[in-house]
Amino acid sequence: MLFFDLLVQGLLQGGIYALIAIGLTLVYGLLRILHVAHAGLYTLGGYIAILITNATGSFTLGITVSMVSVGFMGMVIYRLIYQPILEKPPFVALIASIGLFIAMEEIYRIVFGAYGITFADAPLQGTLNIAGIYLRHCEIGALLLAALLITSLSLFTRYSRIGIAWRATVTDPGMSQSFGVDVIKVRYLNFFIGSAMAAGAGSMVAVMNNLVEPTMGSVPSYKALAIIVLGGLGNVRGTVIAALIIGVAEAFGTIYLGNILDRDSIAFALLILVLMVKPTGLFSKG
Amino acid sequence: MLHLEKVSCGYGNLTVVENLSLQISKGEIFALIGANGAGKSSTIMSIAGHVKVKSGKIRFKGDDITNLPITKRVRLGIAIAPEGRRLFTDMTVNENLSMGCYSLPKNRLSLNRDKVLKLFPRLDERIEQQAATLSGGEQQMLAIARALMAEPELLIIDELSLGLMPKVIDLCYRAISTLKEQGVTILLVEQNTTRALEVADRICVLESGRDVWQGTAKGAGNDPDLIKAYLGLDQE
Ligand SMILES: Nc1ncnc2c1ncn2[C@@H]1O[C@H](COP(=O)(O)OP(=O)(O)OP(=O)(O)O)[C@@H](O)[C@H]1O
Ligand SMILES: [Mg+2]
Repeated sequence: MLFFDLLVQGLLQGGIYALIAIGLTLVYGLLRILHVAHAGLYTLGGYIAILITNATGSFTLGITVSMVSVGFMGMVIYRLIYQPILEKPPFVALIASIGLFIAMEEIYRIVFGAYGITFADAPLQGTLNIAGIYLRHCEIGALLLAALLITSLSLFTRYSRIGIAWRATVTDPGMSQSFGVDVIKVRYLNFFIGSAMAAGAGSMVAVMNNLVEPTMGSVPSYKALAIIVLGGLGNVRGTVIAALIIGVAEAFGTIYLGNILDRDSIAFALLILVLMVKPTGLFSKG
Repeated sequence: MLHLEKVSCGYGNLTVVENLSLQISKGEIFALIGANGAGKSSTIMSIAGHVKVKSGKIRFKGDDITNLPITKRVRLGIAIAPEGRRLFTDMTVNENLSMGCYSLPKNRLSLNRDKVLKLFPRLDERIEQQAATLSGGEQQMLAIARALMAEPELLIIDELSLGLMPKVIDLCYRAISTLKEQGVTILLVEQNTTRALEVADRICVLESGRDVWQGTAKGAGNDPDLIKAYLGLDQE
């Protein structure tokens, strides 16, 4: 049963990674910016979920408010930080983003304290036995949320008018403008969706750990970078698959390679291996 | 219909087209001819709004569109099949077509698609194929078809025949004649001078960003000096 246990744990972790990394790859695809501060929004999502849940007693409300407000926060970051420097060379936006990320962590530390915050009464902690694998309700919830959000995104980009315009804009912003697409709106939408998904992940991780601390986003911030490179920068499907692969590799790796390789280095070991064979990532286009 | 008044345009500090004046009337086919780097693409991209106009004016149906945002030009009735086609390569033929009429009400989609696919039946057979995997000729058809989805009054096509075999060029030109009959005004950039003279009503010859000759295609065909100096017909 250990095999299935590890597999499910890996997919769970991979789903969380995917929810974080999708926003990153979306921003990269559209603006060619490595949006490092994205992981700060993931943390913010956790904070808001706990605060709202503690205030109202409803985690459903907590995660909803978290996703929506962090979605708007992502739009604000685009407007205030990235839009003014879009014409500058890419490293300018990268430095701004790293700076913002550090600032966010410090703000969380100052406002919510260095040790983080917890739920007054942590929700979804009961366990369920599914075919011999014990999962907490929050873990099942996280799996379902990841599946739901990723599927919705895929349907949205495939079948809705705006979704198709969005993909067109990623491929060729100039031409999509020529056919009437407001590229600025697409960017806002892009930041809203990516940030809301990260907040969803942050909220679920908050429940699973019953803790949100200022540096919760540190490890995901660099791991998500490895994932989107592995997935072929800008490629959403590739990112999801890469996230799941890394999640599963970590789950098995900690058990079987734990004494030679730290858990958090597995993603990079995998990244280096893949880049040696295929420098454009697993799922690059063309 | 389209009126360029002493337009200069370029990139950054570089001016690549200088003092160009053109007048294109409704329903005509106008061809822009010239050597590589003469500034043909820059001219039409300035009409589409992608290249900055440094001085002069562009009017379309009487409105000054010199500084109009790109997005609004398609609503006025300008659509483009640009150099290099610039299809949405990740998307299917169908999705590319639907992007073509993004600026129109939803209910125009199936109507316009039927019309356009009648013009290019080859695309109908490949409607769910990814644009990147189409042949060069099919890609050109799709680029034109996508522009037509916007119901343009002015259709701009860059490098219509580049890299296509004669049969496919014929097909594209037949489509263009049909469009002309339907009253669409067409601005062509064409490397293939013979073709351009055959189909165009009037032409403009550009050299190094200046217009060196303008007039009817017939007139151009009867001007031996022009033919020798700029049109290079004797080499074909
Ligand atoms: N993005 C750009 N930045 C700087 N210069 C450019 C740019 N695009 C074109 N140019 C320059 O502008 C001049 C005119 O180019 P343009 O593409 O308009 O020529 P063209 O007549 O379309 O040529 P061709 O027949 O090769 O397509 C060229 O000298 C070219 O190098
Ligand atoms: Mg050109």
